[in-house]
Amino acid sequence: MKNKQYTQVDASLALYLFRKKSKKGASRFFSMVLILGLCFTIIYPILSLVPTIFSTIEDLGNPNVIWIPEEFSAVSFKAAVRLVMPQGIMTMARSVLYAVGIMIVQVFFSAMVGYSLARVKFWGRGLVFAMVILVFLIPRQSLLLAQYISFVHFDVMGLMKLFTTAGEVNLINNPIVLVLLAIFGFGVNQSLFIFLFSQFFKNIPKELEEASLIDGCGFYRTYFRIMLPNAVPIISTVAILSFVWNYGDTYYTNYFNPSGSYMSTLLSSTFISANKDYILNALTTWFDVPVVSDMAFDAVKQAGVLIFLIPLLIVYLIGQRKLVENMENSGLVG
Amino acid sequence: MKKNKKKLSFRVMWKIHGLIFVSPFLIGFIAFFLVPLFNTIYYSLNNVGVADQGGMTFEWTGIQNYINLFQTEVTTGNEPMLRLFTEENSTMLLSLPLIVVFSLFMALLANQKFKGRAVVRLLFFLPIILGLDVVMDMLTITTGSSAGLDTGSNLLAGSYVTIFLVRTLNVPMRVLYPIMTYVENIFQLISQAGVQTLVYLTALQSISPSLYEVAKMEGATAYETFWKVTIPSIMNITFFVVIYTIVDLFLKSSIAEEAYAFAFTQGKIGVGSALSVIYIFNVILVLAIAALLLRKVVKKNEK
Repeated sequence: MKNKQYTQVDASLALYLFRKKSKKGASRFFSMVLILGLCFTIIYPILSLVPTIFSTIEDLGNPNVIWIPEEFSAVSFKAAVRLVMPQGIMTMARSVLYAVGIMIVQVFFSAMVGYSLARVKFWGRGLVFAMVILVFLIPRQSLLLAQYISFVHFDVMGLMKLFTTAGEVNLINNPIVLVLLAIFGFGVNQSLFIFLFSQFFKNIPKELEEASLIDGCGFYRTYFRIMLPNAVPIISTVAILSFVWNYGDTYYTNYFNPSGSYMSTLLSSTFISANKDYILNALTTWFDVPVVSDMAFDAVKQAGVLIFLIPLLIVYLIGQRKLVENMENSGLVG
Repeated sequence: MKKNKKKLSFRVMWKIHGLIFVSPFLIGFIAFFLVPLFNTIYYSLNNVGVADQGGMTFEWTGIQNYINLFQTEVTTGNEPMLRLFTEENSTMLLSLPLIVVFSLFMALLANQKFKGRAVVRLLFFLPIILGLDVVMDMLTITTGSSAGLDTGSNLLAGSYVTIFLVRTLNVPMRVLYPIMTYVENIFQLISQAGVQTLVYLTALQSISPSLYEVAKMEGATAYETFWKVTIPSIMNITFFVVIYTIVDLFLKSSIAEEAYAFAFTQGKIGVGSALSVIYIFNVILVLAIAALLLRKVVKKNEK
């Protein structure tokens, strides 16, 4: 009698466990399918470039080719390099250097402003904070016209009269504009960076500051010796984002320094559809390709993107792992 | 002088140092924001011309530029201005909830524990790079041929799922079509959700595990846990994500190019400025509505 009860209990327990396990397994399977699907959607566009880029120009549009081209060739790549990198590897190096330079300026000045906003109760702090938010909210393009005109007739309170006869300088197409914007807090998404920094510094314990004061550090020493070294997580987060956005920026570079030949602007200005015939002609003359179809234009264009993406992907692969951890410590959440 | 300095208390000195630290931003705010803002408004109320000496001439016209903008001027695509605004706003409002929900969804998936999580995360944040304007522009096909990139577009239309839904289940095409367009544009959606996913993921990871433990002890189902623990904990960050998404979407809008075209291709600086002013009002309006609505939701969840 007792035995039977036990087996009954055992059976129901086993059933319960089985149900629970299968439920868990099913939901796990379901979420894995979703994850794999999403991953596929994200890399599919990149993967689908491969057959286009690496096949010979004559082979494009061949219905037999889906993933593996019949003959590998680097013609599209060579063409893209010639079009997008007029000075060879130097063009890319310059774009990367530009992005790194602006990144350093942005990080340095945003950190200063963010720190002061978070830790120093100066007069009108709330107002300055509101300004930062306002700058973030108002899209930069809405002020483009006035900014552009002010750079065409650049003049700081009549001071330029001392240097030039016209009393103004045309700063458009001068890379200094981009540096100036970054210094004064108006680079790419810089108000967001200031906000991130201030959120981070808010969460640093007060004792740290007090201890450094008791040890006789002044304001600047406290900041540079104590606060900045403690801000490595947020600095690296902002640095990665800043590099990615500056390297890929076409807005500031296009309007304020159009002939700066950064890779991003070159890419977006070379491969407009109006340029199609020119590029196709170039292909036929450079590489002696007999029949050039419209698809060749796409192939060259996408080869260009891939080249453009290389530095970004390297930075991303190095920095990605830290990105989540760092954001967690950034004080934005919680 | 030195005596004077000593008189300033330590606290006052500290504040002055703080102000020095903020001063670059303050200067920038005046030079690159406040002055251009006033200039934009001023230009928009004037007929701006170029003087012989190279300077600019102004002729007060009141709100004539605004009237012209909506009555006589057309966009570069030969469409009336009002249409541009309605189009921009409606596409924005449609994609906003999609992006926010989608980024949360991706963050929830990436937050699970499974093998190969590092690789999945690596891919999930790739849109931060792939979502750059340049890259997105380049990835789209220009010739409409199979050689270009297809983001799954022609995969779905003739797929078995669609045929099954239409023929066997008699799902009307009218219902299916909008859904299909969204599914087809899923890459477009993902590409704009990179930063948001990152922010959501960190928010999810910062929720204390003990909350989940308590919920489990009390016998809450996974569904209940999600709505009673996860959602209230990330409500504040949702506010940030929504605002960020709106700003990001407005940054990508084509209105700025129109303003630039007015000013420098057609030489109508006044009209271009008027467009910019209206654009600013548009953005502020949308943001204000979103903030008001969200505040209510956030407060409700905090209770």
